[in-house]
Amino acid sequence: MESGNILEAINLSKSYPGVQALDSVNFLLKRGEVHAIVGQNGAGKSTFIEILAGSIQPDSGSIIIDGQDYVRLDPSQSIERSIQTVHQDNQLIEELSVAENIYLYNLPQTKLGFVNISLCIRHADDLLDRLGIETRSNIKISSLTFVEKKLISIAKAFSRKAKILILDEPTASLDIEGEKILFDIIRRNAEKGLSIIYISHDLGEIFEVCDRVTVLKDGKKIAAHDVKNVEMETIVHEMIGRSSHSLYTRVLNTARIKSDEKLEIIDYSRYKVVDHVSFSVRKGEIFGIGGLVGSGRTELARIIIGLDKKDSGKLVFCGKDITPSSPYDSIKKGIGYLTENRKDDGLVVIRPIFENISMARFARDRHIPYLELKKERTTTEEIASQLQIKTPSISQLVINLSGGNQQKVVLAKWLYANSEIILFDEPTVGVDVGSKSEIYHLIDNLVQQGKIIIIISSDYLELSSVCDRVGIMRFGKLITILEGAQINEENILKNSLGVTMEDN
Amino acid sequence: MTNRILTKDKKVRQLNQSFVLIIIIAGLCIIATVVNPRFLRITNIINIFQQISVLGIIASGVGMLLISGDIDISVGQQVSLIGIILAMIIQKIGGIPANAPNAWLSGWAIPMAIVVSFAVGILLGIFNGLVVIKSKASSFIITLGSATVFKGLALLISGGSSYMLFNRFATLGRGRIFSIIPIAILFLLGVVIMSHILLKYFKFGRFLYALGGNKKAAFVSGINVNKVTLTSFIMVGVFDALAALILISRVGSALATTGDAFSLDALAAAVVGGVPIIGGKGNALNIFLGVVLIGLISNALVIMNINPYLRDVAIGLLIIIAVSISAISDQRK
Ligand SMILES: Nc1ncnc2c1ncn2[C@@H]1O[C@H](COP(=O)(O)OP(=O)(O)OP(=O)(O)O)[C@@H](O)[C@H]1O
Ligand SMILES: [Mg+2]
Repeated sequence: MESGNILEAINLSKSYPGVQALDSVNFLLKRGEVHAIVGQNGAGKSTFIEILAGSIQPDSGSIIIDGQDYVRLDPSQSIERSIQTVHQDNQLIEELSVAENIYLYNLPQTKLGFVNISLCIRHADDLLDRLGIETRSNIKISSLTFVEKKLISIAKAFSRKAKILILDEPTASLDIEGEKILFDIIRRNAEKGLSIIYISHDLGEIFEVCDRVTVLKDGKKIAAHDVKNVEMETIVHEMIGRSSHSLYTRVLNTARIKSDEKLEIIDYSRYKVVDHVSFSVRKGEIFGIGGLVGSGRTELARIIIGLDKKDSGKLVFCGKDITPSSPYDSIKKGIGYLTENRKDDGLVVIRPIFENISMARFARDRHIPYLELKKERTTTEEIASQLQIKTPSISQLVINLSGGNQQKVVLAKWLYANSEIILFDEPTVGVDVGSKSEIYHLIDNLVQQGKIIIIISSDYLELSSVCDRVGIMRFGKLITILEGAQINEENILKNSLGVTMEDN
Repeated sequence: MTNRILTKDKKVRQLNQSFVLIIIIAGLCIIATVVNPRFLRITNIINIFQQISVLGIIASGVGMLLISGDIDISVGQQVSLIGIILAMIIQKIGGIPANAPNAWLSGWAIPMAIVVSFAVGILLGIFNGLVVIKSKASSFIITLGSATVFKGLALLISGGSSYMLFNRFATLGRGRIFSIIPIAILFLLGVVIMSHILLKYFKFGRFLYALGGNKKAAFVSGINVNKVTLTSFIMVGVFDALAALILISRVGSALATTGDAFSLDALAAAVVGGVPIIGGKGNALNIFLGVVLIGLISNALVIMNINPYLRDVAIGLLIIIAVSISAISDQRK
């Protein structure tokens, strides 16, 4: 309590072959403060907090927790010192219930040694109530939405004594409602003296909930500020070395949109999740789909490309029926789908970067049975550097990349696949501001070439700055399509929540 | 970007795998030579390669399937079944020499046996592949079942008796070029090189890695995963047919159980050669080194005059060690 410092890191360094992930980083965490760590993809944020969590050992430096010195921590020490971590990737066990996942480290037992499941559920429900999370604890993780899973991961951190809570990109692809619950939890507990380390690429959030911010770049600490006394502009500049004026703003070019050549999505339905959705996208147009998580956006994409079964629906391109029956059929017909969860079905993480990038392209060019290794190398290398994938080599395994850079690999795969129609589902989750604008330029290039792009996103800024039209889904229905001046963050938000304009 | 700098690092890691295998193989050779200098004789070395040619061909097929994340533990029984059919055709159509066979018909026996062998291999592959795809069950369980089915079929059609070739069709298994190099070795090398090329330079090979690494991601990327899986099971069947031809030709007769032991040995060779049981990694040359290692152990034990029953103990331990090493080195990352 004396100094008010609960944790201090001194000269922490960590290197991997060809990468200095952390370079003599100093860091100070005060009691009860919410401390943001920001930086580009691969800046070393996750590495830093994994060292605090004990899952990575530093090469040099030391960590002081509550006055006690450590050269390195292991996970049990970290937990013992009341550090709780919510990792970037979900680490829940899909086949167990919410309650079992929360108390997995110490399941309550009956006298006979069986798991006392009812006690476990009671504890878990209490905890969830206390945190304001509505999910019930007796259901299996596998039946939860992405947002619910994230909230459960956070609840799990609260199930043990926590003095320091570490959140690694907790809001990545969280929607507005999930975000509200999270910020509530953060504010209430910080007031009670909990210290929080908060990693995010969304600087707006940082100004909303954080007290201090530390900027990392290429493994080095660049600066630390009180959030009250700093401009967003300054932080962006420190992060990416240029100002945010040069960030992305799209110039609408209505001339290139050819209204006669269009993709028609006709009457797509799947019982209980997608409810008779129809719309059309013209060649050269970017169509956005907004709405809350669980509103049927992802499900719509999945039934369009034939990944899930549908009750009805027809896809017509330039008057021709091209309804695909499977992803394999889709790619044959020139339709690509970037899935929302890179770890699940986006990446083959134990294979090198270049193999991941070329995968869909190779699946598409079926008539060539052999590989053109040289050409593959140069072209994938080119797209990797366009997307600023930070790696010593494109032969690096994807598993060794930082989260945002992994996301760029999935993007690279679909940019390289050269499909005529591309559905992007949360394309820039975890990607830093600088790279985002680069990606938007690349997507814009694609539409210039006459491709058709559909973007599903929970990032309202992304929808409003990139899309020509934005459809909003709610409870499986496409409730409205915003155009031109109607497209702004506020409108997208209101419609997603079901607040109609007449109400205002 | 600093892209081009470290292109070496993956190659280094792969070499390591081969390097460890080569070190173990060299070590074993040295010990065997010290105990019995005859080990190093060129005839013995050739002998070893001739002995492993059948295992090597089977393991190449199973190894590639394993890379794709599927497994086939019925390969030994496939070899047995194909072998018995093959021997029956040669004996029944070729006739027994004492009974003065019909010369015209017996001329057709061997070509027919070869064609039927490959046809049966393909059929067995299609059977395994289709059941695995349609049932969506794990290929381990499915092929455990089909191993028993194939074994039963072999016993059923042979009635449990053995069939002789009477020195017909001996060239493939016993013949030598210039009376030195066994023909079987050439087939082995051909298969290994072909597997290497397939894995490295063809999309099919690339897709095997993708399936083994993350089948869902491969599927969403538009890879026709069912077709790849079916093709790899058929490939295993074809390799097994070739192996059965060489094996039966060398042995000169067939029983309903002649090839059964290959199921586990082939899997062992692939795993020792660095293919993880869940797939996604591995290469043909290392699988081949795994085969050499296993062949070497059998030969070295015999030549060092050690109880040959120790062979299974040694191979079993080798599998355990190989798998533990790769599991530990994975955690170190
Ligand atoms: N196991 C590993 N092997 C090799 N390099 C690694 C490994 N883990 C991390 N790195 C590298 O260390 C650097 C820092 O990665 P880290 O995950 O800390 O970045 P980050 O700031 O969290 O990025 P993001 O915003 O993308 O999540 C990256 O360049 C990454 O490629
Ligand atoms: Mg990270």
